Parts: sequence; structure tokens; C-alpha cells
Amino acid sequence: MNLDEFLERLHRNPRPVVVDFWAPWCTPCRAVEPVLAEVGADYTLRVDVWKVNADEQPELLRALHLYGIPTLIAFHDGREVGRRTGVSTAPALAGLFASALSGQAPAASTPPLAERLLRLGAGTGLVGLGLWSGPSALGWLILGAGGLLAFTALYDRCPLYRALFVRWRDRFGRQQPC
Amino acid sequence: MNPFVKFMASTAGRIVRIVAGLILIALGLLVVHGVGGIVLAIVGLVPLVAGLFDFCVFAPLFGAPLSGPKIRSGK
Repeated sequence: MNLDEFLERLHRNPRPVVVDFWAPWCTPCRAVEPVLAEVGADYTLRVDVWKVNADEQPELLRALHLYGIPTLIAFHDGREVGRRTGVSTAPALAGLFASALSGQAPAASTPPLAERLLRLGAGTGLVGLGLWSGPSALGWLILGAGGLLAFTALYDRCPLYRALFVRWRDRFGRQQPC
Repeated sequence: MNPFVKFMASTAGRIVRIVAGLILIALGLLVVHGVGGIVLAIVGLVPLVAGLFDFCVFAPLFGAPLSGPKIRSGK
């Protein structure tokens, strides 16, 4: 199947579609399967799930710029609205189904407040310990780990990160098939 | 589900593990010197990382899953 045939089928389908690109030899694909079935059951008759064997459709994979499996792509009216590669959690897959249904790109996943506070607290603690322990290799390591941890609590609020992320996504991110 | 595992997987339990990890790292860096201190700091990293990334190292010993969300959902 080439890209045009695939898009034609998508357009003809009356419902939004989540396509699972998998392969029989792919262990992570098997890990995703029960999660996909569980989330997909919540969207029965609202979002269809298609499974495409990556080994049998290399041309389609190239056309979709798909370089790893398992990859799940959400389509709304034949247009790609979201994609996830690798083992995904149920909430992440639910977000993908929701975006297939609404036609909107999935909301950026941000850590919940409790998670932010835990990371920020632990990161600040490690930075404090790193500073307190004096100039040693271990001290610098702890300081760096603490800084990184604190950053993971606030990365989505950092204007520099957001600007770089947008550039990176525009340059290397997914290509719209139509 | 074992009450100890349930507590450790709760938010309070995660905070306890993070604080315990920080204390162990502090002891290893500031109080105990030499190899013992480094070992203590590395040991402290285990509860710290487990608390932060929401998994419970000892849960499988009690027949519970490793993942914190799974323990909380009772699966």
C-alpha cells in the first residue's frame, strides 16, 4: 500500500483512526497491545484502531517518516493530529485517542503539581548538599544532578527550553502527510 | 495489598523515601568520609530515585508490582 492508497482509506473511513504500526518480532509492540486494547475499548464506535504490520508496508513507513516501532498515529479526517513512538502509558494513549476524536493536537504533557514539588524539593536538596560538601568531584556531580532534577520540575515553563523545543520539533518532528 | 507497600506508594511514602534518600546522601557526603561515605551516598540514591520516579523497590518482595501507580490502583 502506498501513501495515497492509505490516505484514501483514511478519508473513506467514517470515524477518526488510530493506526498502530507494529511487527511480530517487536517486544515493545506486544507490551503496548493490552494498553491499546484497554484504551481503545473506551473509544469503541468513536475511534477505529487499525493495525499495520511494519514489515509488510515499508513504503508506507518511509512515506510517513516512521523510523521506529511501535508507533501509534492519530488521524482525524485523514490528517495526522498526533503520534507516539515507543511504549506508551494508558493516559498517553488516551490523549492520543482524544486528539483523534477532537482533531486537536494532544496537549503537551506537563508534570502534575505534586510531581513538580517533589522534583523541585529533591533537586534543591541535592544542590544544597553539592554546595555544602565543598569542591570535590562527587560534590559537583550531586550539584549537577540536583540542578537537572530541579529543571525537570519546571522545564515546560522555561522560555528558552520552549523556544528551542519548538525549533527542534519543526526541524525534526513529524511531517504532515496531507 | 500489604499496608507497608501501600503507604510507601502513597504521596506521603514517596516524600519519606525522598527525604530518607537525601539524609543518607548528606550523611555520606558530609559525615562519613572515604569509601564508606560514597557507598552510603550511592545507597541513598536508591530511595531518592525510587521516590522521585514512583516505583517501589521492595514491593515485589510483598507480591506487589514495582510501579507506584499500579500499586495505588490495586492491580
